Amino acid sequence: MKGRGRQIDKRRGKEGEATSSDRMSVGFIGAGQLAHALVKGFTAAGVIATHRITASSPDTDLPTVSGLRKMGVNLTTSNKETVSKSDVLFLAVKPHIIPFVLDEIGPDIEDRHLIVSCAAGVTISSIEKKLLQYRSAPKVMRCMTNTPVVVKEGATVYATGTHAEVEDGKLLEQLMASVGFCTEVEEDLIDAVTGLSGSGPAYAFTALDALADGGVKMGLPRRLAVRLGAQALLGAAKMLLESEQHPGQLKDNVCSPGGATIHALHVLESGGFRSLLINAVEASCIRTRELQFLADQERISPAAIKKTTLDKVLQQPGVTVSGVANGNGKSGLSLFNTRNPGIKKKN
Amino acid sequence: MPSTVRCFCRAVDKLVGRQVHFVIFRYFSRMSVGFIGAGQVAYALVRGFTAAGVIAAHRITASSPDTDLPTVQGLRKLGVNFTTSNKEAVSRCDVLFLAVKPHIIPFVLDEIGSDIEDRHLIVSCAAGVTISSIEKKLQQYRAAPKVMRCMTNTPVVVREGATVYATGTHAEVEDGKLLEQLMASVGYCIEVEEDQIDAVTGLSGSGPAYAFTAVDALADGGVKMGLPRRLAVRLGAQALLGAARMLLDSEQHPGQLKDNVCSPGGATIHALHVMESGGFRSLLINAVEASCVRTRELQFLADQEKISPAAIKKTTLDKVLQQPGVTAEAVGVRSHGISIFNTNNPRTKKN
Repeated sequence: MKGRGRQIDKRRGKEGEATSSDRMSVGFIGAGQLAHALVKGFTAAGVIATHRITASSPDTDLPTVSGLRKMGVNLTTSNKETVSKSDVLFLAVKPHIIPFVLDEIGPDIEDRHLIVSCAAGVTISSIEKKLLQYRSAPKVMRCMTNTPVVVKEGATVYATGTHAEVEDGKLLEQLMASVGFCTEVEEDLIDAVTGLSGSGPAYAFTALDALADGGVKMGLPRRLAVRLGAQALLGAAKMLLESEQHPGQLKDNVCSPGGATIHALHVLESGGFRSLLINAVEASCIRTRELQFLADQERISPAAIKKTTLDKVLQQPGVTVSGVANGNGKSGLSLFNTRNPGIKKKN
Repeated sequence: MPSTVRCFCRAVDKLVGRQVHFVIFRYFSRMSVGFIGAGQVAYALVRGFTAAGVIAAHRITASSPDTDLPTVQGLRKLGVNFTTSNKEAVSRCDVLFLAVKPHIIPFVLDEIGSDIEDRHLIVSCAAGVTISSIEKKLQQYRAAPKVMRCMTNTPVVVREGATVYATGTHAEVEDGKLLEQLMASVGYCIEVEEDQIDAVTGLSGSGPAYAFTAVDALADGGVKMGLPRRLAVRLGAQALLGAARMLLDSEQHPGQLKDNVCSPGGATIHALHVMESGGFRSLLINAVEASCVRTRELQFLADQEKISPAAIKKTTLDKVLQQPGVTAEAVGVRSHGISIFNTNNPRTKKN
C-alpha cells in the first residue's frame, strides 16, 4: 500500500530534486472545513508555501475564513481570481454548488489547470460535460479525502478523468500523500470510500465520546477518560496498519481466557455492534449516491442558494445570471460569462 | 540508583519531552529488566522498549515454564535472555515485571518471594491484582518490598500504548519516575490512584479489542459497498487513527469534532443516525463497564491466597518443581489449594 509514499517524497524534496510543486500554485474554490483542513495539512507538511495558496468564497463570515487568513493564504471573494492565480484548483464546495461554480469559472480555465473535485457524489463525467462547453480537453480529477488531513493522517483516494495525464495523478498523489494515506481507485469505488473513510472520523468521535462516558461511569475523571480512549484507538489502529495480521487475529491476541476483554466483547456482539457499523458505512454510501443524482441535474433550485450569496457572486466582474424555465416546468438558475453570451445552457 | 543520576533525570524531565528521554537513558544502560511470564504482555513490552532504544535486549530476561508459547520464540529472536526459571529472572534484574495471568500471581510470589532483594522494584501488570495483596505476600520475606501496579495495553508494541500506574507503600517517588520513563518510551503514561485502575482496564486495557472489532466491521461495510478487502481495512484503520490523532491534538470536545464532519443533509449525518438508532454509544459504555466489572471479579479471586489445583496444569507444576530450590508440600495437597514454599524457609508455611 502507498502509505510510505509520503516519506519517500519528503526525502526527494530534501535532496533538492526539482519538483513541479516548487513553483506550483494551488487554489481552493470554497473556504470551509475541507479547504481549511487541507491547507493546514499541506502547510504543516511543508509541501507548499501559503503564499502560493489562494482560497475564495463569497461568504466571508465562515469561521474557517479567518483561520485561513491567519495561515497566510490569499483570500478573495472572487472565484475567478482564484482560478487565475492557481495551477491546481480544488473544488471544495458542497456538491449542489458545483454546477453553479463550473458555470462561473468555466471560461477562465486554461490548459495548465488541473481541476480536482472533492465534492461527495459529483462524477468526473458531469464536471467534464460542463467544462467541455468551454475547453476541448479539461483536465479533471476527483478525490475523496477526510478531515484528519489536518493532522497529516488523512485517507484520500482519487480517480483520473479523461483528459488528465498520469503526471497529473502523480502530482495530486504527492500533494495528498504529504497529509496521509493516498491511493488511486476506480471512480465507481469513491462513493463506498466516502461511506467508510470519508465519514469514518465521525464514527470514531462518537465512539470516543461514548468510551469516555463509560470510563467516567466507572470512576475516571473526564479528561483522563477521553485521553485514554483516544490513545487506545490510536494505538490499535497503528498496530493494524503496521501488521499483516487480520483484525480478528489481533482481537484474539488481546482476549485472555476468561478475562475482562472477552466479557466486554460479548456485550458488544450482543448489541449488534458490528452490524451498526456496517449499516453506517452503507447509509453514508447510499446518501452519497443520492447526492450524486441531485448534482447530476444541471439546474439547481433557487431555494438552494441564499439571495445574499448570489448577489455577492453577481457583483464579481464578468458574471451574469439568467433565470430560465424549460418545457418540463423545471426552473432554475444558470450563470454565464458575459464574454461568451452565446453559450446558453441547453435545457 | 545513584542520587546524582536521579537529580539529573529529574532536571532533564522538567526540560524535555518524551523523545529526548532516549538521551538520558545512559543510566538505563546499567539497569536490567526481568519479566516473569513470556506471553503477550511481556512480548509487547519488550518489542516496544527495544524499538524505543530505552534498554538493550541483552539486559532483559524473561522466564516461563512453558516454552511452547508462540511469544517465547519472538522474545528469543529479539535477543532477550530466556529461561524456564523464574528465580533466575529475579536474580538477573532490577525492575521485575509480573506479566502472568492474575490467578498465577500468588503462585509466583510464593516461588520468588525469598529471592527478592532491596534493589528490586516489582511491577505487576496483572489485571485486578491489588498492591496490598502483593505486599502482603512479599512481607513474609522482606520488610519493605517495593511494589507498583500498572495497567498497560498491547499497542506498546508500536510505541502507542496507554499505561497508568499506582505506587505501593514502600516504593519511592523515584521508582515511579523510573517506571514512568520506561513506559513513556512506548506510549502515554500517567500515575493514577489505584482504585481507578480497574476502570482503566475496561477502557484502554480492553480498548484495542473494541477497535479491532470495529475495523473488521467497517471493512465489512466497505466490502459490502464494493471495495476490495485490503483497501477497506486500510481505509478503516486510517480513518480511526486520523480521528484519534485529531482528538489528542485538539482542545475541542469529541462532539464538536463530530459536528465539524457532518455537513448539512450530508452522507455522514445519515450514517450517524443509523448508529444512534441502534444504541451504538450505549454498547460502548456497556463494554467498558463489563470489562471493569470482570476485572473486579478477577481481583476478588486473586485476593484469595490459595489457587485451585484445577487452575494449574500438572505438567507446568512439574516444570516449576524441577527448578532448583523449589519444593511443594506434595504429600497431601490441600483440598483448597496448593502452596509452594522455598526449602530455605520451612517456617514460612502458607495457610
